[in-house]
Amino acid sequence: MSQLEAGLRKAAGVVLAALVLVALWALAAAALSKPFLPGPALALAAFWRLASNGTLGLHAGASASRVLWALAVSFVPAATLGLAAGRSPRLDAVVSPLVYILHPLPKAAFLPIILLVFGLGEASKIFLVGLIVFSQILVSARDSARRVPRQLIDSVRSLGASRLELAVLVVVPASLPDLLTSLRVSLGTAVAVLFLAETFATVTGLGYLIVDSWSRVAYAEMYAAIIALSLLGLGLFAAVDAAERLLCPWHSYRT
Amino acid sequence: MVELRKLAVDYPRGSGRSADRVRVPAVAGADAVFNSGGISAIVGPSGCGKTSLVHAVAGLLVPSSGEALIDDRKVAGVRAKTAVIFQDYGLLPWRTVEGNAELPLALAGLGRAERRSRVGPLLEELGLAAFRDFYPAKLSGGMKQRVAIARALAAEPDLLLMDEPFSSLDALTREAAQEFLLEVRRSRPLTILVVTHSIEEAAYLAETVFVMSGRNPGTIRERFDVPENAAAARFAPGSRRDDFRATPRYLKLCAAIRSSLRGAGPTEDGATS
Ligand SMILES: Nc1ncnc2c1ncn2[C@@H]1O[C@H](COP(=O)(O)OP(=O)(O)OP(=O)(O)O)[C@@H](O)[C@H]1O
Ligand SMILES: [Mg+2]
Repeated sequence: MSQLEAGLRKAAGVVLAALVLVALWALAAAALSKPFLPGPALALAAFWRLASNGTLGLHAGASASRVLWALAVSFVPAATLGLAAGRSPRLDAVVSPLVYILHPLPKAAFLPIILLVFGLGEASKIFLVGLIVFSQILVSARDSARRVPRQLIDSVRSLGASRLELAVLVVVPASLPDLLTSLRVSLGTAVAVLFLAETFATVTGLGYLIVDSWSRVAYAEMYAAIIALSLLGLGLFAAVDAAERLLCPWHSYRT
Repeated sequence: MVELRKLAVDYPRGSGRSADRVRVPAVAGADAVFNSGGISAIVGPSGCGKTSLVHAVAGLLVPSSGEALIDDRKVAGVRAKTAVIFQDYGLLPWRTVEGNAELPLALAGLGRAERRSRVGPLLEELGLAAFRDFYPAKLSGGMKQRVAIARALAAEPDLLLMDEPFSSLDALTREAAQEFLLEVRRSRPLTILVVTHSIEEAAYLAETVFVMSGRNPGTIRERFDVPENAAAARFAPGSRRDDFRATPRYLKLCAAIRSSLRGAGPTEDGATS
C-alpha cells in the first residue's frame, strides 16, 4: 500500500531525473556537435550493441564482482571493529588514532603502492576499494555505537543480558540504519575508485572498457560503458535500499 | 524487603574515559526500608540522585560505599526477580510489542512457543493483544508504558522499580496509569518502588514516601508513613476503599511532603537556599 506507493514514487523520481539528464545531454551534444560528445541516441545504440554481444555483461560482471568482494571482505570486519570501539573505551583508545590517520588519507593515491604489494591481479583492486569502504564503515560504526542511548543499554542489562547479548540485541540493530547509510555513501566512492583501479593492468571491467574505447576514439562505446557503470552504481544503491527495508522494517516508522 | 544501608553512589568526573580519578558523589548515606508487598515512593528535586539510587538497587551499578539489600541479601549485580521500568520506557524500537514483552524470557533461554504462551495472557491483561505486531514508535505514550509493564511482569518479578514511570504522560493518561499500577499490584504479590516528581502521585500511591534532598551528594532526608495506603488495607481480596484523594488527610499529607521538599536545599532551578 503506502510503502509500495513510496517505492513507486521513488522509481518515478529516478526515471524522471534520468529523462532530464538525457534531455540536457541531447541539447549539449546538439549545441557542441563535437565527436567526443555524441548524442544519447548514438550512445544508447552502442549500449544496445555491446549489451547484446555480451561485451557489457562481461565487463560489468568483472566490475560488480570486484565491488562485491571488496564489500564482503571489508564491511563485516569494519562494522564489528567500529561497533566494538564505540562501546569499549579501551579498544577505542587504539582504534580512534588509527581512524584519524586512515580516514582522511586519499587512498586512491596509494594505488601504485598497493599494486607493488598485492601485484597486478584482482587482489590489489579489491584491496583498494575495500580499504575505502573499510574506513568509512569503521568511522560510522564507531560513532553510531557511541550514540546508542544509555537507557536502552541499561534497560536490557537490567534483564540480565550479557555483553554479547547486548551487542546483538541492542548495539547492532541500533546502528544498522547508520551502517547502511554509510554503506550507501561509500559505494559512491567505491565505484569512482573502481574506475581508477580498472584503468591499470587489466583487460576487464567497465573502467577498462571506458579507457579502452576512449583510446580507440570509439566515443559512443565509451558513453555506453559510462552508462553501464552508472547503472551498476544505481543497482548497488537499490540493493542497499532493499536490504534496509528487509533488515530494518521498524526504521521506516520512525520518521 | 528492600533495605538501604548508608548507600553511596559516585561517578567519574568527565566522560569516564580519561584517567581522571576525581569522582563526583551522587548519593551519600541513604538509609531506607521498602516494605515487602507495598508501594514505596521516592520524591526529590532534579539531580538529587533518585535514578542513581534506583540503579544501585537494580544492581546496574556498584555503590561506592554502603549497600542495598533485598530480602537480607546484598545486591551484587542484576537480579532475575527485580524488574526495572525506565523513564523513557527503555523499549527496543526494532522489536514489536510482543518482541519487547518477551525479551526477558528470550534472554532466559525460553523457546518461542513457551514465550508466546506466557506473554499472550499478559498482553491480554494489559489491553495490548491487538497491538502485538506494532513497533513502539507507532504507540501512544500510555501504551508504551503498558508494554514496559508487560515486559517487566513477563519475568514474574517480586520487586518492581519504576523511575519516573508516568512523567511523560498527560494528566488523564497518568491517572489511568496509576490506577492500572494499583490493579497490577492487586493481582500479584509485588514490592514496588516508584520514583516520581509528583507529590500528589507519591501521596496517592505509596504507603511510605521518602523525600530526597541535596545535590552531589543527595540523600534521603525524611520519611512519611501513609497507613491508609498500606498493602493490607488496599490489596487484600475484596478490599475496596473510597478515593483517598478526597480526604483532608491526603491534602495535609501533600502539604507536609511539599514543605519537606521546600526545606530540602537546592530547588528545582538549582538555586541553593
Ligand atoms: N552516568 C553519570 N555520569 C556522571 N555523573 C552522573 C551520571 N549519572 C548521574 N550523574 C550525576 O549524579 C547526580 C544525580 O543524578 P541522578 O540521575 O541520579 O539524579 P535524579 O534525581 O534521577 O535526577 P532527575 O530528576 O533529573 O532524573 C547528578 O548530579 C548527575 O549529574
Ligand atoms: Mg532520574
